Amino acid sequence: MSRWPLFRWMGRLPSTLRIPLLVILLMVVVSIVISERVLDRLSRTQESYLQGLASSYLDALASSISPSVLRKDSWEIFDTLERMTPKDAPVVPSETVVTDAAGLVLASDKPLLHPTLQPLPASYLARFQGPGVNLDTEAKRGYQARTISHQGQTIGTVYVVFDATSLLAERRQVLWALVGTNAILTALLAIIGFLVVRRMVRPMQVLQSHMEQAAAGDLRPVAAADFPRFNRDAQRMLSSFNSLVQAEEERKRLLRQLAQEERLASLGRLASGMAHEINNPLGGLLTATDTLEKHGARPEVRQQSLQLLRRGLLGIRDLVQTALALYRPERSGRRLARKDIEDLALLLNPELHRKAQRLSIEVTANPDDVSVLPAGPLRQAMMNLVLNASAASPSGSVIRLSIGSTREHLCVRVDDQGSGLPEAMRDLLTSKEPKGPPEGFSGLGLWVVRQIAQGLEAKIVVEEGRPKGSGIALLIPLASVETPDDAIPIAANRTA
Amino acid sequence: MNSKAPMLPISRRSLMLGSFALAAPALADTGLADTGLADTGRRIRFGLTPVFLNDDLELLQAIKAYLESATGFGIELVTRRTYQEVTALLVSGQLDAAWICGFPYVQYQSQLALIAVPEWNGKPLYQSYVIVHAERQAEAVADLRGDIHAYSDPDSNSGYLVTRALLLEEGGDPEGFFRKTLFTYAHRNVIRAVASGLAQSGSVDGYVWEVMQEIDPELVAKTRILRKSEWFGFPPVATSKALAESERIRALQQALLSSPQSVEGQAMLGLLRLTGFGRADPGLFDLVAKKVEAVQGA
Repeated sequence: MSRWPLFRWMGRLPSTLRIPLLVILLMVVVSIVISERVLDRLSRTQESYLQGLASSYLDALASSISPSVLRKDSWEIFDTLERMTPKDAPVVPSETVVTDAAGLVLASDKPLLHPTLQPLPASYLARFQGPGVNLDTEAKRGYQARTISHQGQTIGTVYVVFDATSLLAERRQVLWALVGTNAILTALLAIIGFLVVRRMVRPMQVLQSHMEQAAAGDLRPVAAADFPRFNRDAQRMLSSFNSLVQAEEERKRLLRQLAQEERLASLGRLASGMAHEINNPLGGLLTATDTLEKHGARPEVRQQSLQLLRRGLLGIRDLVQTALALYRPERSGRRLARKDIEDLALLLNPELHRKAQRLSIEVTANPDDVSVLPAGPLRQAMMNLVLNASAASPSGSVIRLSIGSTREHLCVRVDDQGSGLPEAMRDLLTSKEPKGPPEGFSGLGLWVVRQIAQGLEAKIVVEEGRPKGSGIALLIPLASVETPDDAIPIAANRTA
Repeated sequence: MNSKAPMLPISRRSLMLGSFALAAPALADTGLADTGLADTGRRIRFGLTPVFLNDDLELLQAIKAYLESATGFGIELVTRRTYQEVTALLVSGQLDAAWICGFPYVQYQSQLALIAVPEWNGKPLYQSYVIVHAERQAEAVADLRGDIHAYSDPDSNSGYLVTRALLLEEGGDPEGFFRKTLFTYAHRNVIRAVASGLAQSGSVDGYVWEVMQEIDPELVAKTRILRKSEWFGFPPVATSKALAESERIRALQQALLSSPQSVEGQAMLGLLRLTGFGRADPGLFDLVAKKVEAVQGA
């Protein structure tokens, strides 16, 4: 968040504490600035007030004692000083000394401190430098001197020391009042900030907790009790989240339904293929039974017909066994073997024959590498890729299935002779973020391939062929897969 | 101000100016103010000097109340800042009577007649005190050389004349003995000047100092008596010879002499800390006259 340790530390705090802390910091800064301005203004006002008071006092005093100073009448000056000294003013002169033109004390209201006819010490006179009041905040005293003139000549000087204790006490009181008020305000604002922010953040925390649960696989709507009563924005936000949850659940339901339908559709296609496969020998078998019926008495005809019947029935048995094996892959938990490739060819041939297509299978992979992979998902992926290639290719085309391996990967590749993989299908297979299932049945098979590849941590590569066709390759890492005990080596090249 | 102040003659103009300029402001609100010197019908114009605490308003009201009831005359109390002003008004007939000091009485004895003399502790006598600050290290008047000294009034016996005469008697130079002298124009002020430290020593009426010790002990405690003088005739109540036999002066004299016999008179005497008033014998002031002679002859 920041290089400053304070901000870094604050960044780690929850919002409910961070914002009140920021309020406190802000208020402290504001308080310091305001206090400084107020005290500065107050001290200037006080100094101006003291200056005014001192000037008034000195003006009145100077004019009152001027004749006495001229006559050097110490008693008159003393009496005037005693009578003129204010007693109840907020700022009172604590000391007044009147000297003659030579600087000798004529009278003072503290004669024992400043004896008559004695000069004032230089250290004392030094406090009266300058035209205005000199305020000594440590001694809590203000000092000002005023010359007394008569007919343009200086006949004496008045030195007044003011007791500024009350002014400085007022400053202190104002400072404490400011500090106190600001502290109370800061505390109040911090508490209000804490409560308000906690209230504001509460829906976010509820949402965050549900999002975290969703990320862990437990997507649940926000309960009505957790909805804020007055915050409409937060209500809308949580309602939107709940709508999202509902939509996701609906999507999952639809997906399950789609997968079911796809399975049914695949089953239908296979059933149709199987029916065709079974139907083909059935004609011969029925013919053989007719032959047996008519010419069964002839041993060579009977023997030939029985052999024909046996081959036909064996063919049907193989087909049925393959179908049984194919649709119970997860139950068996087997590893991939040559038989799976052969079964695949057997299963797909009816569909390919229907489109006058041919499946060419080329296995160059090391049998040890192949046998470490699970049979079920790979067979499903290969079947989907071949069915997709068949659908994309025109009649009479050859679909190529090649299985090779490197040190790190097993490579399963299917090439077609179509007009190229549409962009949406390519995206479905290779987009960085996994896509949801496509609308309708189009591409559903490829989407399943993507899911299987993801489960096997396999990479999918799509290549456009030249001049036409395209190839889809699954690169399945071998490193993390253990070699099972019942691995069956796959035979080399086979063409279906 | 350390030279002797000029005495009479005082011009009529300066007297008039002085009477307007120096009318005591403290009296303006008390009904004691000067209402005009020309109206002399059934009134007695009675001048007061700081021979006693003449700035005590309660005391002034008590004097006025008693004298009005005892004489049947309206009493107009007239105060002035200095002895000289009151003496001048008295001698010139602008006051019917005045409580003055023995020193001006001796000076204008030929023109004045005594009405009564106050009695303090049963005697018509008082002393002059030389006082110093309570913490002052001094044993005798000789130790006060070089002081700033506070006098009361240049026409005061106890507050000026006695100390001047003493310095002459002791062979000193009254002008050069003190570094600086002040006139405070009231005995109370002499005590204030010495107590505050403005002056290092002062000459004060012993009667006033003693009374002040009762009224304001805190102030008086800051001073101590260095020397008490011989006994002098108490400052008398005098009139001009021309009025001495007038009805109102006789009424005033009778009122003063009979003051201990009435409640109001006793109240007045109580405030003044006096025991009464006696008939005056001019010989009472012979000692004052000697001091005047000594000082004026120097």
